Amino acid sequence: MTLADGLKAAALLFVAAIVQVSIFSQVDILGGSPQLVLVVLVAVSLLRGSIAGATAGFFAGLVVDTATLATLGMTSLVLTVSGYCIGRYGETTGRAAGRLPEQGSRSLSAASPGGRLRAHAPYLSVAVVTFLYVFGVLIVHFMLGERAPAGAVVRGVFPTMLLNLILTGPAYALVRRLVRPRERADFATEVQLLG
Amino acid sequence: MAPPNRSARVAVLGSSLQRSKPNPYPSKARSAMVRRAVLAILVVVALAMLTISFRSPTSGVLHDAQSYGASALRPFEVAATRVARPFRDGYNYVSSLTSAKSELAKYKKMARDYRAEALRDAAASAENTNLKSLLDYENGPSYPQSFRAVNAAVISFPSGPFAQQLVIDAGTNEGIRLNTPVVSADGLVGRVTNPGKSTSVVTLLTDPDSAVSARDLKTRVSGLIRHGQGGTLILDRVPKNQVVNKGDWIVTRGTVDRRYPDEYPYGIPIGRVISVGTSDIASFLTVQVQPLAQFDSLDSVAALIPITRARSHP
Repeated sequence: MTLADGLKAAALLFVAAIVQVSIFSQVDILGGSPQLVLVVLVAVSLLRGSIAGATAGFFAGLVVDTATLATLGMTSLVLTVSGYCIGRYGETTGRAAGRLPEQGSRSLSAASPGGRLRAHAPYLSVAVVTFLYVFGVLIVHFMLGERAPAGAVVRGVFPTMLLNLILTGPAYALVRRLVRPRERADFATEVQLLG
Repeated sequence: MAPPNRSARVAVLGSSLQRSKPNPYPSKARSAMVRRAVLAILVVVALAMLTISFRSPTSGVLHDAQSYGASALRPFEVAATRVARPFRDGYNYVSSLTSAKSELAKYKKMARDYRAEALRDAAASAENTNLKSLLDYENGPSYPQSFRAVNAAVISFPSGPFAQQLVIDAGTNEGIRLNTPVVSADGLVGRVTNPGKSTSVVTLLTDPDSAVSARDLKTRVSGLIRHGQGGTLILDRVPKNQVVNKGDWIVTRGTVDRRYPDEYPYGIPIGRVISVGTSDIASFLTVQVQPLAQFDSLDSVAALIPITRARSHP
């Protein structure tokens, strides 16, 4: 990952976090609200892998917690784990096996080394990680002894998931346009060339 | 050129090219280790921050740093809010438009319910006032002692100047008979002219066919109450040599002849004298009486059922 890519990803996540805390947090549709920072994090993690995903999740959560003056580290913890898991999914089962990248491909499921990223991967990732994120935050609140309204969370999880899925297409396309997907050299290989 | 009996393996092993130093950790394993290490470090740092922040949420270095960070992020949040405000306003406008119709229907229904409830309350209050007045009258000193009251609601009102009758929701089942006197809390109303099983027709004092034997309470002058002009009554058949004063109370006269018993007990208030006139050619005084009962706003009345056959005398 080059410095430019890192800066672009950081800027994207920073903007997503600001938009999240200042705009989307006030949106309430059927009890749910879109989680833009989560969607962007999923896109970055899928494109750049688990380490970048975990790091991006950590700092995005830090921005969210700082901006909202919430308990510092709570969102970071959940987003770190989420970014790592989605990154690993993108590195492994999220890609079709044995298919090499096509030169100059710009489609959503554009080629990446180690196989093409499956077309449904961003949507599946966002759906799963929304579920895990919402309940992860609930569990952390519960373990800290804070107010954890499980009923409201359960009622809001599916509208939130739906709104996130709506955001996934444009958000993933934007992130993929700005942040370069990993290349073959970035992936670990089984064979080390001698000499 | 290599000799023909020499294999490629021998050529490689025998060459001067040195192999690279074997790495104790394969690349994939090293990559996984780095990956897990990064995750562990980030999780530990997040947990540490979480612990410190949770233990001292309003003080400490971390809180101060968070405050500074929030202050630094504030301009970005304000900018994002300002950028989003037109969109949010537009969304709210559209949202309010879509919900306005259902809200309007809901509030209209609520208004209808409240209006009906208010009317019901007002009607109940008015009825309560009437019933209390009636009860006061029945417990008062002017109530005829040898009669019991059958209270009844007025269910039909006179529909015009030619129908000086009303219908009450009590009949022969309650003991009402033909010519049973009917009173309100204010005074005499009329008499039953058509009793049914559970309803009865009451002919009012203002009916042209009504005639009630009455007397001046002060001067004890007797006469016959008939209907007059403009909703008033007339005390008829009062000789010119008798004295009737303006403001005198007129009450029912009661029975004076056992052969022709009066339907009305003695002492039921009828009205008050508002004018007394005479003329040279007339044989009787012209005594105009303002009735006490409000015939056009009766809600409940009492029918007087005699307890014994005997009637009280003046």
